Parts: sequence; C-alpha cells; structure tokens
Amino acid sequence: MKLVKMNADRFTLTVDEYLAEKNVLFYLEDAINQLLDHKEEYVQFGIVRYFAEYFSSVRRGNHVLFREVSYIRATGHNRASFIRVFWRSFRQIGKNGDLLAMMEYSSLLQLLCPDFPVETVQKAARIVLMDDAMDCPMSFADFLYAFQIQFYFEEFVESVAVLYQGLLSGKSPNTVIVPTSSSVEQLPHLACDGTAAEEGVASSLLCSCIEALCERYKHNHPSTHTLREILQGPPRVSFYGFLMALAKHEGLSQDIGSLPNKADLLVDPAMDQELEKLVAQLSVSPASHSSSSAPGQKDPPRKASPRKSLYHRKRMEMESDGSNEETDSSEN
Amino acid sequence: MAKAEQAKCEQFPSASSVNKDDSLPLLSKTTMAEKRRSGGSGILPDSKPAKTDTEKEFLSQAGVGVLLRGALLKLVEARSEDPIGFLADHFSNLASEPDNGAAGCGDAEQQNTAEEQQQLARAMWHLRLAHHSQRSAFNNNVRIAYDLLVQSGQRRRLGGGVRGRLYTQMLRLLCGEGDVPESTAVPLLRRIQCHDHEAVPFELFRQGVLTCAVFSDYVRKSRSLYVEICPCPDKAAERTLCQAVLETLREALDTSDCADSVRYLEASAKIAPCKLAEAMALAHNPGQTQTGPSMEPQEFEDAASALFIERVRPVS
Repeated sequence: MKLVKMNADRFTLTVDEYLAEKNVLFYLEDAINQLLDHKEEYVQFGIVRYFAEYFSSVRRGNHVLFREVSYIRATGHNRASFIRVFWRSFRQIGKNGDLLAMMEYSSLLQLLCPDFPVETVQKAARIVLMDDAMDCPMSFADFLYAFQIQFYFEEFVESVAVLYQGLLSGKSPNTVIVPTSSSVEQLPHLACDGTAAEEGVASSLLCSCIEALCERYKHNHPSTHTLREILQGPPRVSFYGFLMALAKHEGLSQDIGSLPNKADLLVDPAMDQELEKLVAQLSVSPASHSSSSAPGQKDPPRKASPRKSLYHRKRMEMESDGSNEETDSSEN
Repeated sequence: MAKAEQAKCEQFPSASSVNKDDSLPLLSKTTMAEKRRSGGSGILPDSKPAKTDTEKEFLSQAGVGVLLRGALLKLVEARSEDPIGFLADHFSNLASEPDNGAAGCGDAEQQNTAEEQQQLARAMWHLRLAHHSQRSAFNNNVRIAYDLLVQSGQRRRLGGGVRGRLYTQMLRLLCGEGDVPESTAVPLLRRIQCHDHEAVPFELFRQGVLTCAVFSDYVRKSRSLYVEICPCPDKAAERTLCQAVLETLREALDTSDCADSVRYLEASAKIAPCKLAEAMALAHNPGQTQTGPSMEPQEFEDAASALFIERVRPVS
C-alpha cells in the first residue's frame, strides 16, 4: 500500500481513479458481502458501527485475519497487512531460534488463512534455499523476508521468472557459466552450495529488461531505484540470487512497510514482559491454576464482543493485542 | 453444482445493485462473481441460496445505500489522502452520534454543556475534513459545523446564530490543532473572538474559521522558513538574516489596493525564492562568521505571526 503514494495529484484524478487508487470500492463491496453473510449479528451490533469497525480494522491491518486467500491477495494493503500479521503472530518462533521446514511454515500460515496455498510457501522457500535442498529447515527471519518478496510481489516475481528463462534460453549457446559467488555467500546456512555452479545472466541485461517490464506494469513492483542498486553489483546474476538480494534489501522492506529491519525483527518488549509474568505465575502456583489463568485473561474481549461467530471471536481476540496467540503457543 | 454456482453469480450483481441505484461506480460482473466463488471456498459458511430480493430488500431497509452514498460523497469531496482511514473515522463519528429525539429533562444545565461539547467535537470533526484551499468543500463543512453549533445552542437561546462563547472556544481549538501555541494564538483570537453572549452570524463564523485555518498554515510555513535560515538544527539562526527574511515577508504582505488576483500575484512575486535569497545575501556579512547575535525560533515565529495578526481586521 505504501508503494502507491498519493499526493496532491489526487485532486486532479477523476472520482473513479481516486477511488480505485486505494481500492475503496473493493473494501466497500467486501464490507457489504460480509454484512449480508452475517446479517442478524450485525443488525444487532448496529450497521453504522459495523462499517466503522470494518474500516478501522482495514486501517489497522488486522482485517485479513482468518480471511480467504483471494481476499488477502486482492490489494497491496491486504498483502502487507498479512505479512505483518504473520510476523507478529509467530515471531516468538524466531526468538527461540527454531528452524522450521517449509511444510511447517505452511501450517503456520494456514492457521491465519485456512486456504493459504502451499505453492506460495514453496516458492518462498526456494528463495531462501536458492532452489536447492528443499527439505532444509529455515530460520524464521530468512523465511519471513523471502516470503515477503514472494507474496507481496507475486506477479512481479512470476514475470521476472519468465523473463529470466527467456534470457537464459535465448543466450544459452554463448553463456559462460559463472558461479555468482557473491549471492551464494550471502546464504550462511546453505551447506551444499559449492558444487552447484549456477548459471546466470548478465546483470545489466536483466536490469534493462526488468526496467522495461516495470514501465508497463500494473501490479506492484520494487522501485527501479532498488532494482538498479541490486543489479549493479555482480556482473552476472541468477534468478534466485536476484530474489535473495530483493529479500535482503532493507530499503525495499521499508517501502512495503510491514516488517522492521532485521535487527528489530524479534524485539518485542511487551511480549517478553507478558511471558515473564506468566512464567512467574507458573512457578508460584500449581500447574492447574496457571492453565486456568491464561484463558481467563482473554475472556473480557470475548464478552465485550456482541459478535458470536467463532470467526469473529478469534478476530476480536487478535485485535485486542495481536500477541495473544503467541502467548498461547508458548504457554502450552 | 453448476446450477448452484450460477445462482451465486446471479445473486451477486443484484446484491450490489443497491449501489447502482445510487449511481456508484461498480466492479465488473465477472470479477465480483469470481470473488464470490473463491470466497465460498474459505471458512465462511456458504449456506445461502439465491435470495436476491431479500438481500436487496434488507440493504435498502437497513439504509445501507443511503449510508454508503453519504460516506462516498463526503470522501470524494474531501479527497482524503487516506480514504480507508477517512471512512473509518466517518463511520465511527456517525456511530457516536446520539440518537435523535432523546429529550433532555431533569439535569438540564449539565446535560446542555455535555451536549454542547459533543456538538463542538462533531463540528471540529467536520472542519478537519477538508483543507481550506479546497474552498467549496471547506465552505460546505463550515456550514455543517455552523448548523451543528446553532442547534446545540437553540434549546436555551432564541437563536440567530452560534453563541459567542462556543465560537471563541472553537477558534481556540482550531488554532491548537493547527499546532499554534497558545501564546501565539491569543493576540489573533483577541481580534476575532466575540463576546460570550453575542450571537455569531454565519459569515462572521466562516471568516473566523478561515482566518484560524490560514493562520495555522502561516505559522507552520514561518517555522519552516526559520529552519531554512538556520545553518544547523541545534544552533539559533543569525539575527540579521532573520530580520531580512521578516522584512521581505512584511513587504509581501503589504500589497497595493487592487483586485484580489493581482494582489496574490504581487505578493507571491515579492516572496519568491530569488527575492528572499537576494535579501539574505544583502544582509549576510561574509566577513564576520557566526559572531553576530542570533534569534531564537520562538522570537522569529512571534515576529512573523505579528505581521499576520496586524492585518486581521478586529471584530468590533
């Protein structure tokens, strides 16, 4: 969402263009569909209040929780919000230093979005593992930044893949195979790299092709500034080397605006405090007590919510803090 | 299966045809149908048969069309930079409105002030919607704010306008929200405020609001001017330079008596960057480096705002 910046130009747009810029009608339509799906509850809740709640949650970015993947994919803001929700919900995993395999990340994503496709997770894992040793476990941070590129720029990544294949096959007779050592070295945990001499294409060629692609692109794509920065480095680059560089680019991550820099990724003082409190409780009281106290904390928002469906109850819980889920998983 | 799918597709356009009645732009039929289909595969219960008429009926009965049309009109008028946030605020503002017809009796005095404050908050909210440079939207919002405040006074007063006390209070709030410190705002307010018991007519009300809005912008601009003059953020700017800039500013504000448009051109020519640079170059003495007296940002801001305020005609 932040990639599409609006400025004073918005006054020169037509009404339709202005509304399309931030997908206003898309959200209105979805709000109406949701309203129709849960008529009774929302009438009781108050229709104006319902719309207020709906748009507030879109603004906060927790509207994507437990929604279908087609909705999550539909706008840049939704994608960015989902990436953020994923990070916030599971950063404790990163903190514990656990390495997880691709399928495990897939399961985590499906906790937030039941129909989240495995293929997307697979593609993200390919970026981390440079299309090699696909059953290798990955750290949370590595996966997260790769997932961000894959999911947020999905169409762009697909287009570049096609473009890259074209360049590769078109030039294959003369291509000198040069291992792109710089990009491989960036992968600390990739044990089996040295043997695989990667093919690649000339960075400058790829760069100009991608720039031409961006010019007529209607989907989100990284800024040309970022692309140039990345492709000006090594003389040759492989597809996954390029994606990896995108994933590691901090400026790009800032542009998307979902995740903090890598250094701050796992910092969560509020959560730590909460955990410490729980641990303290655990050590004081017998186990049965503590297990009843944890759900007890979550009761107030549940009661306050006039909505009854399970789906919304979950949603309200997440809205209240966003970190309750983590508490649960580490508590049990 | 195929039939059910078709039914869903059919139901969809009609569900949003409420929008169509309101002449809102729509997504194409196919994208909506697609969205619907994929939506059904999610966790939402996909239980509904084609109840097109009842849905349509429901939406119109619940006043959804009217509600959304109002919201979109407001949005398009204000052209907010953050439309989603705008809609969120708009709906929560509507939701917080008291139900009409709740008659107040008993603790009338207390209720009145509470209600007054609520109306004031709502009026402020409307004033915030559009910048004063979008003049027609701004004027509409001023009118709405005015009507809100007139209503809140009417229960006790004879009418004829917003009460002076409310008006003054609102101007103070406006300056505060515009990031103008109390001390800077007071001299301006002294010129345009009314007595508590006076009834403020609309034109005066509009002028007052506009003056405060422009003044807030002016103070902000003067602040950024000072930042430009300042060589580094933690040191005060040179006094001679500040005075040169203030002098240029004063000249720009003193325009000859002719048509408005000519005066705007004249003023902007006088404050053009090259003019400012010229004045600063003249004032700057390269011989002495950083030894001259300096001027604190607050003093600069006060001097700049004094230039503005002395040109505001006092309300008699």
